[in-house]
Amino acid sequence: MGIRKTYSLLILGSSLVLINGCVKEIDLNTENFESALVIDAVITNELKTQEIALSRTYKFEESEPNPEIDAKVEVIEGNTAYQFEELEPGKYVSVIEFSAISNKEYTLHITTSNGRSYISTPTFLTQETEMDNLYAIRETNDDGINGMSMYVDTFDPTGSSKFYRFEYTEMYKIVAPRWVPLDAVVTGDLFPDCNVELVPKTEEKRVCYGLVESNKIIQTSTDGLQEDRLSRFLIRFVDSESYWSTYRYGIVVKQFVRSNEAYNYFEILNSFNVSQSLFSQSQAGFFKGNMVSEVNPEEKVIGFFEVSFVSSKRLFFDYEDFYPNETPPLFPSGCIELFPALLIVSPDHVGRCGSLITGIKLNSIVFYDHNNSYMRPYLMLPRACGDCTALGSNVVPEFWID
Amino acid sequence: MKNYLATLVLFVFFQAFSQENNTKISLSFENSSIENVIKIIEEESNFHFYYVEEWLGVDLVSGSYTNVTVDVLLNVLFEGTLLNFYISNDNKIILTQNNSIYDTLPDGFFNESLSPPTSTEIPEKEIVNAPVFFNEANTSDRKSIETIRIGKENKNDIRKQFTLIGNIKNALTGEPVPSLALLVKGKKIGAVTDADGFFKLELPSGINLIETNSLGFETIQKRVVIYNDGRLDFGLNEAVEGLMEVVIKANVDRNVKEVNTGTIQINVKEIKNIPLVLGERDIFKVAATLPGISTAGEGAAGFNVRGGKTDQNLVLLDDGVIYNPAHFFGIFSAINPFTSNEVTIYKGNIPAKFGGRLSSVFDIKTKDANIEKFSGEASIGPVTSNIALELPVIEGKAGILVGGRSTYSDWILRSLDEEELNKSKANFYDVVLKYNHKLNDNNSLKATGYYSRDAFSITSDSLYKYSNRMVSLKWNHDFNLKNSGSLGITNSQYKFNIDFDRQTNTDFDLGYSINESELKLNLKYKPNDRHTFNYGLSSKLYNVEPGKVEPKNSESIIEALSIPDERGLESAVFVSDVFKINDKLTLDAGIRYSIFAALGASAQRIYQEGLPKSEGTLIETQQFGSNEVIETYSSPEVRVSARFFMTPSFSVKGSFNTNYQYIHALSNNTTVSPTDTWKLSGINIKPQHSNQYSLGFHKNFSDNTFEASIEGYYKKTEDILDYKVGAQLLLNETIEREVLQGDGRALGVEFLLKKTKGRLNGWLGYTYSKSEVRLDGSFAEERVNNGEFFPSNYDKPHDFSLVGNYKLTRRYSISANFVYQTGRPVTVPVGNFILNNSEFVLYSDRNSFRIPDYYRLDISVNIEGNHKIKKFAHSFWNISIYNVLGKNNPYSVFFVTENGQVKAYQSSIFSIPVPTISYNFRF
Repeated sequence: MGIRKTYSLLILGSSLVLINGCVKEIDLNTENFESALVIDAVITNELKTQEIALSRTYKFEESEPNPEIDAKVEVIEGNTAYQFEELEPGKYVSVIEFSAISNKEYTLHITTSNGRSYISTPTFLTQETEMDNLYAIRETNDDGINGMSMYVDTFDPTGSSKFYRFEYTEMYKIVAPRWVPLDAVVTGDLFPDCNVELVPKTEEKRVCYGLVESNKIIQTSTDGLQEDRLSRFLIRFVDSESYWSTYRYGIVVKQFVRSNEAYNYFEILNSFNVSQSLFSQSQAGFFKGNMVSEVNPEEKVIGFFEVSFVSSKRLFFDYEDFYPNETPPLFPSGCIELFPALLIVSPDHVGRCGSLITGIKLNSIVFYDHNNSYMRPYLMLPRACGDCTALGSNVVPEFWID
Repeated sequence: MKNYLATLVLFVFFQAFSQENNTKISLSFENSSIENVIKIIEEESNFHFYYVEEWLGVDLVSGSYTNVTVDVLLNVLFEGTLLNFYISNDNKIILTQNNSIYDTLPDGFFNESLSPPTSTEIPEKEIVNAPVFFNEANTSDRKSIETIRIGKENKNDIRKQFTLIGNIKNALTGEPVPSLALLVKGKKIGAVTDADGFFKLELPSGINLIETNSLGFETIQKRVVIYNDGRLDFGLNEAVEGLMEVVIKANVDRNVKEVNTGTIQINVKEIKNIPLVLGERDIFKVAATLPGISTAGEGAAGFNVRGGKTDQNLVLLDDGVIYNPAHFFGIFSAINPFTSNEVTIYKGNIPAKFGGRLSSVFDIKTKDANIEKFSGEASIGPVTSNIALELPVIEGKAGILVGGRSTYSDWILRSLDEEELNKSKANFYDVVLKYNHKLNDNNSLKATGYYSRDAFSITSDSLYKYSNRMVSLKWNHDFNLKNSGSLGITNSQYKFNIDFDRQTNTDFDLGYSINESELKLNLKYKPNDRHTFNYGLSSKLYNVEPGKVEPKNSESIIEALSIPDERGLESAVFVSDVFKINDKLTLDAGIRYSIFAALGASAQRIYQEGLPKSEGTLIETQQFGSNEVIETYSSPEVRVSARFFMTPSFSVKGSFNTNYQYIHALSNNTTVSPTDTWKLSGINIKPQHSNQYSLGFHKNFSDNTFEASIEGYYKKTEDILDYKVGAQLLLNETIEREVLQGDGRALGVEFLLKKTKGRLNGWLGYTYSKSEVRLDGSFAEERVNNGEFFPSNYDKPHDFSLVGNYKLTRRYSISANFVYQTGRPVTVPVGNFILNNSEFVLYSDRNSFRIPDYYRLDISVNIEGNHKIKKFAHSFWNISIYNVLGKNNPYSVFFVTENGQVKAYQSSIFSIPVPTISYNFRF
């Protein structure tokens, strides 16, 4: 190795070290697993059967939390105790419909099946501030991507709301672009008996709906601002290249007025989920919400019992409303025309059923047209082109407006 | 390595370490000059001679010897000449004219209780013939002895003794000669010069023959005929060779003699053999290999001294505070090694003249510029280059030292093809300028200026900058022999700035700065040999601009925000006495009274007593006018340390120490980050304070070749700052709602074994320690880990360092250092949960797990240029490999939720061996 080469390697090495250091992913082990009760409890001013979800922390290799079953749940206000019953594992709903009323003190009581009892600090309904406006604007965002931004405006003239959380449910119409009324079904899949028949479609596969719920905490505060006013607070951005907005898109946004304590609690939780710099780390740790174990005050209990004022608005738009005279975005996979073989015979006369049979059985291709070939009888398309249930549900969402 | 281990074993069993100098030599010569014979001996053996040619004369000698030891041979060879010789342990033979070199001092040499002289007149003959020590002292030419008459004889004076005072200077440089022994021959009277070269002798009237004795300087005799009290000043020439060794020798038993516990001295010159990272010699890295001082991780800025937090160290450069003495997150130190002379680290008993930090003082002194001739030093490394120049301004009186260091990493980054990297920025530099002026014998002036700056961007849209600025001016004045003092004024500033520019409406410019100015008067009074008083006062004014954020352009929606400035005045009076109770016991007792006043203008929030501070418990906001006192804190701080000699080379030390700290670093990072801010105490934040007890045993062996010490400490701290989980510290006006003040306790045992001389030298340090914090309160949000003690972020029970340097030949030396540390505590996720439809992780109790243990081996080779005397520059190459084993030491472990999934990452700084080559030269 020449001197020159060594030198440049050295420099490269040094500077890479300086700039990048070395970050690698390591396996999280679950030896240290701690099981703790997780309480997801928001009581609102809406008159309805209120819902409380109880679960336990879960290991990293598990994908779902374990529901906390057979617990006794009640919300007490003055002399009234609202009982909850377990509707499905871990999901508790109030036996009767009720709504939270301002200036009343609510406490949540939980007794788990192992006899441990938990209690929340007394909580009041937050300030009654309605969402003023939900609207969409077509724009290019900070990352240089064109699309639709959904904004919220809110104003509390009393200046006492200050902390807001938002949840949204998005829905969008999906139309299978090359839908035909017939479906191909396999009636024989053992060589040489490889058979496909065409039958009329029995369920709705042309028009479907996507339904997506927000999966991160969206919260903000007007603390420190001159007025308790949110203007043009971004809730969601949809890329114009996304097929979500090809036909019709809708969003239902719920605004929760939050207490300062609840806001702080989730703000800290959020801060741990943000990627940290190589050279510095935030001090992570466990921190208490407003639930405490009555038996052992030091037991780790997760969650924050909230009594929130909620308001919601929904918004729908068609593609043409914002993208007049523009070509709607394509389907995610595109509609490639396929001519799969019915059966395959190799030179030594050993045969098997072809990819037409397997494709239909795997529900990855759909019939579109006939093809003038015995071996390859049909023109097939990727499933989503003729069957919208590949991308969504054929049930019209609850809040959908055409 | 085997050899080294063997040495250790020997040492541990307290066996005497004897050096072979009984090599047998056979040779014959006829009519040769003595010089030729010496050269033959050098060729035939591994001895090296040091001498001045003229001494050897022109006489020719003849002789034939078989199997004689070198001392026998030399005794015969030098018979009839004025030459004496001394054979050192490492086979150096030093020739002297007239006088012998003694490698041991006679019993009672430092004994202060010498019996007072009884006779007033002693015949001169007797003096001459009575060697004070060592019978080997032989024929010397005495005819050149100068006779000096002191004082005017007063016939009415019935005193039989007079006081002779004086000052001894280096005849060449004019600097005072400290620790020089003056002996009155035959009279058992002696004195040693103090740090400023002063001595005091009580002499019987009449003739006294005074002899100076110091290994660094020529030995001269003066015949003093004393009639009355008087003064005698004179200059001494340096000894012929090896000034460096002399310097070391002069302090050989410093560790045993030092009265204060936990005091470490690092001579910057001596650290050149320690392996380097990226070609940089680093004072702090060396400090971290010594027991009791550690860093949070590789490349982490900040030090934890004896289980203390990183903000508890006072780093002083020529008396001025440096807030962030690190470049590039701590990978490089911001103190230029070329301009630094010596670093004294106080980690045990902190002398009363220092204050304001709980754990330690790093007292760094820059070099005085050479006032005789132009000289300099430079190094060229792969990442940085460094140069220091010394320029005499007024010969013999004043000089300027200029030092500068800079990276060229920006250039490297720009030249890279990788787009992500060539937009990055990482550069730093630091400069030091020092002026020293000796006005006259009693007055000198020193002025230092320092500036360091870092700029880096890890993402392309943000630029971080931080800088330290310091100026200090010091006037030293000697009032008289007993009184001296210094008046100093310093100003330090630390600031950082984050420039966020994404070309969007969220661009901002964020800044922080702290500025402090101090005036300090430090006086010394030495009434006699038993007492040395140090007293004075200091006052320091802080100005903090805790932060402001400004929109970068008119489109930016970022709201301008400025946290109100803070101001504080920290003053102290201090007095201490080094009291020599008897030969064995010396006490350094000091007291410091410090007072801190938080000053307006300011708005202070008053909260309900006994409740967590929050919006809900806020009672009122009080307004204070400009410079109005908001709150004062004051406290006496006790600094007592004692040393007792069990034997002359074995001492026991103990100390008790209290400290107060009125300024706190705010950091919710586990390691020091340049964006940490400093906050002054006030109504809502109390000062932190500590008590430390130390006990240590220090022993030197084998003629000070080995130094061993074991020191234990227990430290209790109160009101140290910590934070609620997830605290927001930057740009937070109500910071008191985020902080917690808790207790800390630390204890440890530090073991250090050092070999200071010989071809193999180095040290081995081991610390066992524990550092814990307790955050307790009446409310859940004030408690961490249920209010129990938990390990601090920097708790590393086992900390082992081995630094070794082996001199292969005169030109080649090889060094290695090995470090092992227990992994530091971390808080880890112990489970997932879903709340509000979003996935989060549950964290363990704080610091209940540890990252893997840390170890690292570095190796370096130094190649010295050849030693031609008249060569323009002395140079050496240093080739080093950092992390030879390529151990991927985790620096931190962190957790990120990506697409709803929690992932764990481990980061490390130097996960591969990092080779470096640097070229250094001195002229």
